[in-house]
Amino acid sequence: MSAERTRQVEAIAHGTVIDHLPPEHTLKAATVLALPDDQIFIGMNFISKKGVAKGVIKIAGRELNQMSLSQLALMAPEATINIIRDYKVVSKQLISIPKSFDNIAKCSNPNCITNFQNCITKFEVIEKKPLVVRCFHCERSFQGDSLHLR
Amino acid sequence: MEFNGRHIVSLRDLSKEDLLKILSIAKNLEEKPQPDLLSGFLMATLFFEPSTRTRLSFEAAMSRLGGRVIGFADANSTSQKKGESLADTIRMAEQYADVIVMRHPHDGAARLATEVSGIPIINGGDGSNQHPTQTCLDLYTINKLFPNLIDDSDQLTVAFAGDLRYGRTVHSLFEALLHFNVKILTIAPKGLELPESFTQKATAKGITVTVVETLQEAAEQSDILYMTRLQEERFPDPVEFDHVKSSYRLNARMLKNAKESLRILHPLPRVNEIATDVDETEHAHYFPQAGNGIPVRQALLALVLGKIS
Repeated sequence: MSAERTRQVEAIAHGTVIDHLPPEHTLKAATVLALPDDQIFIGMNFISKKGVAKGVIKIAGRELNQMSLSQLALMAPEATINIIRDYKVVSKQLISIPKSFDNIAKCSNPNCITNFQNCITKFEVIEKKPLVVRCFHCERSFQGDSLHLR
Repeated sequence: MEFNGRHIVSLRDLSKEDLLKILSIAKNLEEKPQPDLLSGFLMATLFFEPSTRTRLSFEAAMSRLGGRVIGFADANSTSQKKGESLADTIRMAEQYADVIVMRHPHDGAARLATEVSGIPIINGGDGSNQHPTQTCLDLYTINKLFPNLIDDSDQLTVAFAGDLRYGRTVHSLFEALLHFNVKILTIAPKGLELPESFTQKATAKGITVTVVETLQEAAEQSDILYMTRLQEERFPDPVEFDHVKSSYRLNARMLKNAKESLRILHPLPRVNEIATDVDETEHAHYFPQAGNGIPVRQALLALVLGKIS
């Protein structure tokens, strides 16, 4: 890395950096992933090495749990997750898309039974790229990033 | 796949082999009625929204097999009105009955019911999503008229007319027909055309879907003309609805050059889309089609209750 490079978002000693987020989903992702006491840094519309606009979220002091990873997979399946320890990237991984998303999103079909009853939602992945999911209950298909998280 | 104890919720759950088994058992039950087959069994009909044909034909099917029926036909007379959850209503009903047939205004309600029910759930219609027993009876009707359907020996031309965008019976029958040797014609008002995804599914299976311009053309080119009702609420402009309604009215004159063997089906209720003079022609087959609901629903009940395997 070039010594002259200016850091655009504060470095974190330990924690998680979520990179290559679609800019339009970055704020939403930060809102969903943040816990009340989290220290979070957000960058939007940075230009990646490939010249594409992206968002970055840095969460200090912790790694994401399985629930957060699933939420992220639904919102931004192309994002990458870097684990930081002592200011160094110790692991860098792509998000893995699960076979189904259980109880993390609300069905966008206003007539779906899950919007009327207290029950667990489930979306089966029918296409990974672009991410398309189908509601297990009402059988409607949706783009992954169009769903509202619960 | 084993039918005993199985839920019948969606056409997606039924393979070609399953469909053929249902048709074959329905045929046997129609030819050789078994008035005591389900003696001692109780069916609960939970109809959270009104229905005429589905509920009556399920009740008739169960009664004619010697079984008995409990249930309700109006959610206002149940504890749902007091705020009881669907899951609790199902848990209660399974204590009383051996099989539940339900209709509900919300999409996915029958699937949700299967998550809490220890007895088979048969979906009698969930919102605008699925109505699998209607599809089975439609398929049974077509196969009775054209037995070559299931052995794939002759290609059958099936025309779908009306609201092809939202009509659940059209979507389900369309998917079921993709298992067989068919050619499909469609005719729909602007904005209510068949979704592209259905055409793509057919093309992937080597089945052609052709759009035709007039009902007369559809009638003249097909073996089965499957008519559906246009719903006024689908049209933002009432004037547009009136205009379309009159252009989507099949009458006896349009059938003058149709094949002698053409049969017209409709899931009913029909409103304006088929003139009553069509009823007098040999092509009208929508009432016998409704009657076929009995053997088909008998077959499904006997299968899920494990009395026929």
